[in-house]
Amino acid sequence: MIGVRPLGIATLAVFFLAAFTPLPVRLYDLLAVPARIGPADAIVVLAGGGVLSGGELSDTSRRRTALGIDLYRDGLAPLLVLSGAVGWRSESTARAALAGKCGVPDAAVIARTAGHTTHEEAATLAPLLRARGVRRLLLVTDASHMRRARRLLEDAGFDVLPAPVRVMDAPRQPGERIRLFHETLRESLALLYYGVAGYR
Amino acid sequence: MAAYLIVALTSLLAYLFAVKRLGRRPSDLPGALARIADAVGTGLVFALVNLAAAGGLVLGLRALTGRFVSLYPLDDGVWLVVSMLQGWLWRLWRDSRSSQVAS
Repeated sequence: MIGVRPLGIATLAVFFLAAFTPLPVRLYDLLAVPARIGPADAIVVLAGGGVLSGGELSDTSRRRTALGIDLYRDGLAPLLVLSGAVGWRSESTARAALAGKCGVPDAAVIARTAGHTTHEEAATLAPLLRARGVRRLLLVTDASHMRRARRLLEDAGFDVLPAPVRVMDAPRQPGERIRLFHETLRESLALLYYGVAGYR
Repeated sequence: MAAYLIVALTSLLAYLFAVKRLGRRPSDLPGALARIADAVGTGLVFALVNLAAAGGLVLGLRALTGRFVSLYPLDDGVWLVVSMLQGWLWRLWRDSRSSQVAS
């Protein structure tokens, strides 16, 4: 089978570069969107990871929700929109409960189950935000996911201020670098898919 | 990182054992490395075909049924491991057939 050997050598080279060099961090930084925090009409926290079998939020969901609550408590917006994935338990309801425990008044929270994908989520949230007169929003999601999510909401007519959540800080172990490389690769493929599907 | 020096050390010990005790020739080592590259390359081909087929199936089911089918199951490292095993088996099978023909 002519041609698989160079492919194999390239695969092994990529593996060693990803595991033992800062390459994954550089690639992740290229994909990630830097924070631009400022006053807005609403804080929108995108769904992530859902709810575990015990009823508690997943790590990803909890991290995003915590940042959204922090931004609200810093007085950056009067409205906290907590999105949630479709699932057997409501992620958005669990997030709203967490926000309530952290002192965010019920009147300031909108909890909404908003589909299965980022595209569906943006399509569900956009009319809801427009109805509330939102024009500028602080968008909370993972740093690598921000580029794709921001595009969708900007295309829907919003001025988007990114408030990214970083998955990990400066990985030191090869396994962590591989995980970061995997995440960068996955999100790059998702961006490509969104481009091909015409979501942008 | 220092832990990976262990891997270098065990590799050196295995090399010495193979040469001194098993009578292997050091000149055969590049050929063995090339066969590893062949197996990994074949595994990558299997991985790409597997993921393309699975992705196509998911998107096809979405289009045909109008129901949401998640792409997330494709985001699993086990796909890569299984594909590498496919590639490795394929190479072993192919090479054994070649050696039978040669003999």
